[in-house]
Amino acid sequence: MPDVAELVLRARRGEQAAWDEIVERFAPLVWAVCRRYNLSAADTDDVNATVWLRLVERLNTLREAAALPGWIATTTRNECLHLLRDKKKQISVEDIDGPDERPELDAWLLMQERHIALRVAFRELSERCRQLLNLLFAEETVRYATISAQIGVPVGSIGPSRMRCLDTLRGNPALAAFEEES
Amino acid sequence: MTGFWDGDDQLLADLAEAVLAAREVPLRLVDAGKAAFAWHTVDAELAALAFDSDVEPAAMRAETAALRAMTFVASHATIEVEVTADALLGQVAPPRSGELLVRQADGLVRTVQVDALGWFTIRPRPTGLFRLELTQSTGPRVLTAWTSL
Repeated sequence: MPDVAELVLRARRGEQAAWDEIVERFAPLVWAVCRRYNLSAADTDDVNATVWLRLVERLNTLREAAALPGWIATTTRNECLHLLRDKKKQISVEDIDGPDERPELDAWLLMQERHIALRVAFRELSERCRQLLNLLFAEETVRYATISAQIGVPVGSIGPSRMRCLDTLRGNPALAAFEEES
Repeated sequence: MTGFWDGDDQLLADLAEAVLAAREVPLRLVDAGKAAFAWHTVDAELAALAFDSDVEPAAMRAETAALRAMTFVASHATIEVEVTADALLGQVAPPRSGELLVRQADGLVRTVQVDALGWFTIRPRPTGLFRLELTQSTGPRVLTAWTSL
């Protein structure tokens, strides 16, 4: 799977598929920021459209592709605040968005970036692994016997398969930056 | 090596959260994002927003009746606009006649004339997100940054 820098370069050259991949990858981030501000569906649509239009506009001058998640999060947040301010002119930014929120926001953004990387790595797993992990997402209490029946894997090999799939996931280059932290 | 995901349980839980969160994203948001790429092919010089009285209220000239003033600057032209109750009034510098397209993000496009002194009037005001595209007899086309009133 190409990294963000490559996607940006290709989109810059006019490749719609590369742009689509950027949108697929980062739309959950835009959505998550809008959710933080409890925007209505209509307002979320407006903010979302604005963010992508602004990114298209910025595409040719974007210097550092690694800064893209931060740019998207900040732009979305600003658009959310702009919209909320317009609706309640008398409310200051601090009322909408606590003054001491910055450190929490940074941690939150880091988590979002981790999730983006995890989804990229997940998509690259074999279909079998994705199927198995998907069933394991559901809830802790799903019994191996049920999973075994659903995907036709012997009960005894579910544990080892789970480990193998997660090891493959962990080895994905998209996750390298996060493995080395902390 | 230490990291977020030393244990498989931790990794699986984080992965589950990531994957399930993405599934909640309404498809229409993704579609709208992809559609925005149509603007990439627009071949014009970008005029950035250099001044906005909403951002710097103190700089607003007291004698005008304008609700808001904005200035877009490109290397070949400057576009100044003033927002009034029912219209968007503007002037292009250097003054020269031309044509201005008012392009709204919702797809609506209107054409207004720019007179020999560079003046133009957009009435009624654009709604939602929009940008102005200026074409003059000489020089490249100029496209302002997206903006909303």
